[in-house]
Order: sequence, then structure tokens, then C-alpha cells
Amino acid sequence: MSHLRKRITTACGWLLADHFILVLTVVFFLVMWRIYPSMGGARNLANISSNMWPLLTLVIGQMFVLLVGGIDLSQTSIMAVTSVTGSMIMTLRLDPARFQDNPLWGVVLSESGGLLAGHVLAVPTAVILMLTIGACIGLINGLAVARLRMPPFMVTLVTMSFFSGFAIYLTRSENIMHLPESFIVIGRGGLGPVPYAMMIAFLTAVAAWTILNRMVLGRWIYAVGINRKTAVVSGVPCAGVIVAAYVFSGLCATSAAILYSARLEAGRPTLGQHLLLDVIGAAVIGGISLFGGKGKVRWAVYGVAFFVVLDNSLNKMPLNFYAVDIIKGAVILMAAVLDVLRNLLSQRSPARAGA
Amino acid sequence: MKKFRSILISALLISAIIFTCQCTRRPGEKQTVICFAFQDLETEYWVAAHKAITETLRSRGIMVLERNGHQDANRQLEQVRDAIAQDVDGIIIIPQDGESALTIIGEANRAGTPIAVFNRPPANRSRPALVVVADNEKIAEETVRYMVLAASKLERKMKPLILVGDLGDQNAIARRQGFYNVIGERPEIFEKPIEVPTKWDPATTLANLEAAMQINRGVDFIFTSSDFLYPQIRAVLEPLGKWKPIGDKDHVILGGLDGDSTAYMLMEQGFVDATGVQDLFFEAHAIMDALLKAIQDGQKTPEEWIEDPGFAITQENMQEKREDMWGYRVMAGLAEAKK
Repeated sequence: MSHLRKRITTACGWLLADHFILVLTVVFFLVMWRIYPSMGGARNLANISSNMWPLLTLVIGQMFVLLVGGIDLSQTSIMAVTSVTGSMIMTLRLDPARFQDNPLWGVVLSESGGLLAGHVLAVPTAVILMLTIGACIGLINGLAVARLRMPPFMVTLVTMSFFSGFAIYLTRSENIMHLPESFIVIGRGGLGPVPYAMMIAFLTAVAAWTILNRMVLGRWIYAVGINRKTAVVSGVPCAGVIVAAYVFSGLCATSAAILYSARLEAGRPTLGQHLLLDVIGAAVIGGISLFGGKGKVRWAVYGVAFFVVLDNSLNKMPLNFYAVDIIKGAVILMAAVLDVLRNLLSQRSPARAGA
Repeated sequence: MKKFRSILISALLISAIIFTCQCTRRPGEKQTVICFAFQDLETEYWVAAHKAITETLRSRGIMVLERNGHQDANRQLEQVRDAIAQDVDGIIIIPQDGESALTIIGEANRAGTPIAVFNRPPANRSRPALVVVADNEKIAEETVRYMVLAASKLERKMKPLILVGDLGDQNAIARRQGFYNVIGERPEIFEKPIEVPTKWDPATTLANLEAAMQINRGVDFIFTSSDFLYPQIRAVLEPLGKWKPIGDKDHVILGGLDGDSTAYMLMEQGFVDATGVQDLFFEAHAIMDALLKAIQDGQKTPEEWIEDPGFAITQENMQEKREDMWGYRVMAGLAEAKK
């Protein structure tokens, strides 16, 4: 009996272990590699890597909001708005037949491209503008949640709807092509063997890790997520912390928009429209709690890695397209159940509780 | 305990890597593998095309990797990249739009994997690909010309409306152009056309058409850029008392493009005057034949634009031409299967 209890305790320990998802990812990858030898090929590894980075920046941003007990459904619309506004600044030419009905035609847009078409500062200006817009939308979300006490789900659902529509209005549903090569290279190129996308994701992860582990803001973020009332009593500036989390999420969504727009070689008003499930799914798989107060940058990396490897392996299988969706949905559901289970277990073993 | 767990994890990972590296697959006879990446199956046209392509390829002993991009250009790009990494012999895509088609073709070109684009052409011809596309402008012109003929018999000024598709799609642009080419020829009959954007989405169509009809109650001539939007047109016209068959004084002259079974049924019932038909089966077989030939010949970046001339089916030629209409054949096939 005691032997059985010991085994159960060990199993629980594994479930609660920090590296559980990493081990799962590696084992899953190796099994798939055995079945599909192309999994381990250089080109496929490059694919897995390049698919990971934009998603990782999104998930890290989402994690900040989840940590304070919120959710950011507007990340995809931030991507869409920033993608088209940045592209409008730097595009090198536009087809008048498709853009002359645009409200910005003759003001920002013309046949010879965007406002700064061909200018040496076009790309940096566009990127700064994109980041500013992303941060501003995050600020709107944060203020509505923190100051007006509106439910995060409702606030970000509304901003998602508003800014998705706004992106389509700005472009009249048109994609903006002919972006400068110096921008496109962000999605495709790299410094030696290290892709630029990886560097951006790495810098985002380092910034997030520093905030969460080396700054007092990080402690406050966890405190707000674990118990807001206690945090208030303890003197944590909750409203400011929540606003900061949403602004960070907006900045991360913009970074992802830069990476996705560069790899697709176009500013798209529908960019990321169907990505929300992947973001939330990867976060949940990684073990970031939907109930707030629990999550680490490392877990975000593991969740994204598992999600991308799963997606990649499903693409190798000769399955019907609906089977792929079913399997993916089932895995996310299992991860959510596992999250609940882990929460229960960690509550029973206080030594492991917390972040 | 912590140290023990770390050792255990490391041991597990190392043994798994060794196990995987040691395994070798027996080389067998290589089966041709084609990745078929489509953007979604939201209309009858795409469902029928998906069925025609997958069934034909499988019947020829080819393994088909089906990938649904769910209308997400980035996801489709990732799926195609994964397929390339898997060393597929060829790729058929139904892209989300002309711009993403171009990016995806670029990926395939760089990898030296032959790629074929079905029905929704790339934004320009800068990157080589096999492309099959209907002559949408000409088909739209033929269809609208018949509708104009019907309008001219009424001897009154008409208020035309066009349901425009997603203008990121070359097909939508060509259909819109075909409509304007013909309407522009008869300024004595038509007022300035009203444009209703649909983005190829039924809900958007319903909302926008309802709003347009509230403001412009006199609309009596509607051209839809795709037949799959007829249910939305009916939902808007019926409460306004404008869903009437040909011959009724309140009949709205109706036409579209695609050639699906709903269009045929509505023509038979007398609600629709004409519809443009893309020859789906010709397109599906033409693109498959071209791709398989390119694979056989070892071509890495084949280039060919195959045009489907299409035709307009009207109230006048319906009986003689319906056998060439894919929507009628799908409907007849289903009826046959039910028996």
C-alpha cells in the first residue's frame, strides 16, 4: 500500500515538475521522428524554429495578462491594425485601382507608395509607429480593466471587434504589398545561422524574464494574480500593474505582427484573425494558469514548443483535414484538464505551490 | 530527490535520442505524394473542387496530404513549408488571396517543388507556377449581357447593384470589371451602380445588402459575384416583396457567377435570369494533369497559365447547356445516389 502511495506521489511529482512539458515535447518529437524521418531534417527543424518565434512573442504577452488574472482577446486585432499601419508607411508602391477609394488615398497613400516610401528611415519609423499603436491599444484595455473595473473578457472582445473592423476600414480589405526588402528580411533572414525572428523572440523572453524575476513589478504581477484583495492590502498598486501587463501584451502582439507581416511580405488587415486558439492553447499547454498568478517564461517556451511540434507533426500525417482539427482540439482540452489537475495537486502539496 | 529526478530526465532523453537515431527505415518503393493545401471549404464550389481533386489523385494511387488553412494565410504558408520539408513531389493550393499565393509560390520555387494554383490566381506573374483560372471577366460579361438584354425589354431606367467579392482576390476583381464593362455600355438604361462589399462572407453580405436595400429601395437589378450568396439575397428581398419569379412586375433581374446547384435550382424556378459557369471539372483535371506531368518530367518550377473559358447559362440556353454546368451535375449525381 505504501509502495503504491509512493508511486502516486512520484507520478504527481512528475506532473508538477517544471520540465514536464519539455520532456513530453522531446519524447513526442522523437516518436514522430521515428515514424516520419523528415521530422528531423534540417529544413523541417528550420520550419519548427521559424514557426515558434512569432507565436512565442504572442504567448509571452498573453502570459502577462493571464498572470494578473485577465485575458487579452484583442492581441489578434492589434496585430492586424499594426500590420496595416506600418505597411502603409513603408510600402513602395500601390495599385490605384485597388486603393484610390481608400480614405487615406492622397494623404498617406499614393501610387508611389506610403508616406515614407523609399526613405532610409521608413522601416524604423514604421516599426516605432507600430509599437506605439500596439502599446496604446494595450493601454486602453488596461485602463478599462483596471480603472473602470470592466471584465477583461468583455473589454478585449470589444477592442478585438473594433480594431479588426478598423484595420479592414483602413485598407478597404486590401493587403498592402511591395514592402521594403529591409523589412521582409526580418521574417526571412538572420545574422549568420541565427534568424532575426529568433533574436526578437529571445529579447522579448529576456525582457519578460527580467520583469518577472528581477524587478519588483514582477512580484506585484504575481501578487495581483494570486489574490488581488491581499495585494491591495499589501500596498501593491494593482491598477498600474494591470495596465502595465496589458501594455506589455500589446507590445508583444506588435512584435509578432512585425514577424508575421515580414514573412508574408504584406500588411494584412486579417492578420492573425484565427490565431487566438493557438495562443491560448500554447499558454495552457505550457502550464500558465487561466486563473491567474501562475506562469513562467520557461513554461511559455515549453508550451509553444509542444504546440508547434504537434502542429508540425500533424502536417506530416496523411490525415483528413477535420481529423487534424479534432486532434489539436483534443490536445488543448487535455492540457486544460491537466492544468486543473496540477492546480489541485499543487494546492495539496504547499511546498510546490506558487510560481 | 531533485537530483535523482534530473538524472532520470537526462537518462530518458538520451536513451530516446539513441533509440531514434539507431532506427532505420527500410527503403520502399516511393509513392508520389502531393500536398493539397486549401484555404477553407466554405462554398459548394470549393467542396466540389476538393472532392474532385482528392478523389481523382487517390484513384491514381497518389498519396494526398490535405491541409486546411482555415482562411489564415500564415497557417497556409506554414503548412506548405512543412510539406516541402517532407519532400512532397508537388503542391496544389487554393490560396487565401492573390498576395499570399505569391509568397507561397516563392517558397515552393526556392525549394524546387512544383506548385499548382487552383482557381484563385496569384497577384501577378512574377513567380513561376502552374495556374488554372476561369476567364472571370469574360464570363461575367456574358452573364451580365443577358441580364441587360432582359432589362432592356422592360423599357425603364434600372437601378443596378453588385455584390463585390473580396478585392484581394483576382477573381473578385475580374468579375466586378466584367459587370462594369457591360453596364457601362448602356448608360441610357442604368443609373450609377451600387456596390455592396461581401468579403466572401455570408454574414457580411446579409448585413451590407440589408443596409443597401434600406437606402436604395428601387434596386431592380442585382449581380452577385458568387452564387453562394443567393440565400442571403433571398433573405433580404423576400421581406421587401422583391423575391418574385421572372414575369412578375416586382421581379428583380438576378444573375451571378460560379454555376452551383443553388443557382441552377433558382433558374429552374424562374428567380434567377442567368449565371456564369466555371468548368470546375475541367479546371480540376487540367491542374492535376499539368502538375503530374511536371513531376514526371522532373520540372522544379513549371510555369503555365491554363484558362477555363467558362460560359453563361441563361433562361434561354438552360436546357441545352445544363449538362456542362457542374452544379447541375453535382445535383443530378446526388439525386442518382439517393435512388
